[in-house]
Amino acid sequence: MTEKILFNVVQVLVVMLVSPLVKGVLNRLKEAVQSKRGPSIFQPYRDIWKLFHKDEVISDSATWIFRLAPYVVFITPVFVALLIPVLTGYPLFFAFMGDMLGGGFILALGGFFATLAAVDAANPYGAMGASRTRMVGFLAEPVFMIVFFTVSFVAGSTIPYIVHKHWVNPPDNFFEPSHVLLMLAFLMLIIAETGRLPVDNPSGHFELAMIDESKGLEYSGRGAALMKWGGSMKFLVLVCIYLNVVVTPWGLAQGESLGELLLAIPLVFLKVFVFVVVLVVIESSLAKLRLFRITEFLGGAFITSVAAMITRLLEG
Amino acid sequence: MTDLQANTELLTKLNGLAAGLFLLTAFGMIAMRQVLACLKLFVWQSILLAASATILGFQHSSVHLFVVAVITVGTKSILIPWLLVRLVSQEAYARREISQVLNIPTSLLLGMALVILAYFASSPLLGASQDPFVRMNLPVGTAGVLLGAYAVVVRREAVPQVIGLLAMENGSFLAGICIAPDLPIIAELAAAFDVLIIALVMGLLTRRIRERTGMTVVGKLASLKED
Amino acid sequence: MELLVVLLVPALSAILCVLPIGGGLAALSTVVGCLAVFLISIHVALTTITRGHVIAFLGWISCDSFGALILLLVAFVGLTTSIFSLGYIRRVVPQEREGKKRRYYARFNLFLLSMLAVPAFSHLALVWIAVELTTLLSVFLVSFEDTPEALEAAWKYVVLTCMGAALALVGILILYWGMKIAGRGDFTWSGLIVASPGIPGPFLQTAFLFILVGFGTKVGLVPVHTWLPDAHSQAPSPVCALLSGIETTTVLYTIIRLLPALQGLSHGPGSWLMAAGLASAGTAAFLLLQVKDYKRLFAFSTVEHMGIIMFAAGIGGTSAYYGANLQMVAHSVTKAFCFLAAGSILLVVGHREIASVKGLIRVSRPAALALLTGSLAIAGAPPFAVFLGEFSILKAGIQSGQEIPTVALAAFIVIGFCGVMYHVNRMVFGSPDEEEARVRLPGSVLVALGISAIPVFLLGGYVPGILEEMLRLAAASLGR
Repeated sequence: MTEKILFNVVQVLVVMLVSPLVKGVLNRLKEAVQSKRGPSIFQPYRDIWKLFHKDEVISDSATWIFRLAPYVVFITPVFVALLIPVLTGYPLFFAFMGDMLGGGFILALGGFFATLAAVDAANPYGAMGASRTRMVGFLAEPVFMIVFFTVSFVAGSTIPYIVHKHWVNPPDNFFEPSHVLLMLAFLMLIIAETGRLPVDNPSGHFELAMIDESKGLEYSGRGAALMKWGGSMKFLVLVCIYLNVVVTPWGLAQGESLGELLLAIPLVFLKVFVFVVVLVVIESSLAKLRLFRITEFLGGAFITSVAAMITRLLEG
Repeated sequence: MTDLQANTELLTKLNGLAAGLFLLTAFGMIAMRQVLACLKLFVWQSILLAASATILGFQHSSVHLFVVAVITVGTKSILIPWLLVRLVSQEAYARREISQVLNIPTSLLLGMALVILAYFASSPLLGASQDPFVRMNLPVGTAGVLLGAYAVVVRREAVPQVIGLLAMENGSFLAGICIAPDLPIIAELAAAFDVLIIALVMGLLTRRIRERTGMTVVGKLASLKED
Repeated sequence: MELLVVLLVPALSAILCVLPIGGGLAALSTVVGCLAVFLISIHVALTTITRGHVIAFLGWISCDSFGALILLLVAFVGLTTSIFSLGYIRRVVPQEREGKKRRYYARFNLFLLSMLAVPAFSHLALVWIAVELTTLLSVFLVSFEDTPEALEAAWKYVVLTCMGAALALVGILILYWGMKIAGRGDFTWSGLIVASPGIPGPFLQTAFLFILVGFGTKVGLVPVHTWLPDAHSQAPSPVCALLSGIETTTVLYTIIRLLPALQGLSHGPGSWLMAAGLASAGTAAFLLLQVKDYKRLFAFSTVEHMGIIMFAAGIGGTSAYYGANLQMVAHSVTKAFCFLAAGSILLVVGHREIASVKGLIRVSRPAALALLTGSLAIAGAPPFAVFLGEFSILKAGIQSGQEIPTVALAAFIVIGFCGVMYHVNRMVFGSPDEEEARVRLPGSVLVALGISAIPVFLLGGYVPGILEEMLRLAAASLGR
């Protein structure tokens, strides 16, 4: 019992501490692909450290929402990290507090507050970015739902720990058509939800073209640090859901000893690294879509998830 | 579980995967704006069709189906794309923004409705067979036929219309290899030949239209109608 | 053996046509080939009456009396149109373009080959391929004149009919699957009838609907008829005669041949066929009223007649089948004659517009007479063959208790009659706007018009014993 609580805390700490590193690796790799040297992979830590030591400036017209939002954005991925399998293949203490839908809602809460805060600061770019994020969100929502329904339909549950066992038991379940199609659909969703290319350009500095980034423009100091950190945690949490729940539980600790848990950390990091490489390849080979083409991108994700559902129906 | 059963199970899953991806490519042909991307998707679809035929060949230990797979790859994913690229000028392939009759999200939703229609059209037939391959391939094949027909209707460019037609044939073959795996080989050969003639005839016609009217947007040809 | 010869002769003449020797060889070999095909198909027809069927390869190529009837029709229309082509093509294609003429005759022969193959094949997969080939081999005949309109017509033609063929392929495959479940027999027309009690109902129903929609596209059923008036008006006139006269009929034949296998169904195909037939006949009858192009006039009339035949096949029963077959024969020969007449008018006036043709009788007597008789005959005036066919269909409809649809059909026929005669009347009579010189038609055109007029007149008053026997056998074969 205490062990499970301890493991759960370790899991959350790993998510908190490793997530900036993942961002750093991603940025470095992207620069490397473009034949540049790129910043150190520890640059995100330095950024967050620096921001924590700076003064915070808050607009006079901003309300409490603006002050609260960074904390919500920071805390929601932490909650989700309690629920999902990050390191262990078996449920931990808080695992049954919520299923995949619950995790989705908690993450959506963070997004909701970020959007409100962007409007609250009365910066015109903030409102523009907020409305665009909502547009992407609205379009992504039904796809998320269909994906969850299909998952629960195929695996018979929405509890992540039951779902991910289904894909490898027996091993040829991995090649189940609905599984492969779901992996594809979810990948497209992650790209849309975390604002990567081709939906949004995370390294763009042109406010008019921003979708995700423009929401944090008004923040400085501690608020900016929390937003940044929360953002990278959200990314890692989504990647963990994708890799450990939707793809395969490979690499997760199966035994209940601390050694196995510690061994799982590099293995999971390896998985994440492979995913990051794939993401870099995708991002480097695609151009950003025009705003109204995003509908088509998410329509593609929708169709893919529906195709997964249909093939599952046909298998009978 | 015996080896044979386990084998069948894996083959069923692989076939399902091929069929699922086949369905995706069929949707892709509706959604792609670039003519060349459409052609590439068709090549992939044909390869998936051949993969499904190969898997069924393993399942039924039938050389015949392997031959079908080889013919499919040979004609549909090598010869026909080559022919279409040769016959129609490069300029048509580089073009983006095919002006479609309906916008793409609407098309995708209608496509979903067609898939459901295909499912209901084939469900009375599925009662007659417990074969998992048929349960997968027949509805997906029928959906492929309907989606191909839809692509022909909404596309305005000549080459995507041809590809839509060929995709319809692909769909009926995906159904055909599992419901009629022992159809005489002469019929298969003739059908492959037939597909080739379609590509040839329509390719030549497209070239002629381009020579005479200076475009390949056949949807804009609308001088013949009652008024 | 005879069937193989029937198929080989056009193939051979097609090869002779592409050989670059002599000016007249292509035309000559086509006409001689068509004559040979016609004579052999008479022989085939006679043999089917005495022996029941002619077999070249058991289970693949064989034909019974219904098949022989269609074969005979194709051969006859092929003969007249090939003779007509002699004069027509010489007028239309400039003297120096020898290659274009040779290509025309080669394609003509290949097209004829594919249409002869439909009734001669008995394996359903081969029949499907033959039907698909009738489209693919005639596309370049439709686009022969190379105008943007002709190319547009050819494109619509090939796209829509190939779509239809792909749908029909699904139907054929489902039938094959059903045969496998029933567990016996060759996949031929007769094998299908034998096996049909063992095929589950949903299979037959689904397969029939796929084939009806698929091949119905090629026949010109109403929601999917849009290509037909374009293709049947833009092609050179002898080709129009082939397209409208027999191509539609051969495809309709494949749909009707399915009927005996479907009789066990609770919701039979009859109501589908009747509905499709009525819709086609009705729509075409109203569209006939407002055409501006006399070749389109006849093309819409084809849609109407296909609807009438389909309606007859839907009524069911031997007398309705007899009427349907008679109407098929009558329509084929009459429509071919009409398009040949339209072709000769085109040679005389040089355009296809109804409004600017007036007083044709003063410009070219033979063309005007041909047009007048042809349109009276196709519209269903009493002494002609179509009248007989329509009359027997309406009679069968009333007798089988389908009063309301039959009366509706009769009304559509009357509207169609008015539509055709209204336009033709204005073209033939009246006085021309400016005094035009009389134009002489080529001899071969006159000969072709003469030959193709024979059955139009003959069948109206008297059906020869042999033909009567074939029609009876064909009707009986549909009734299981």
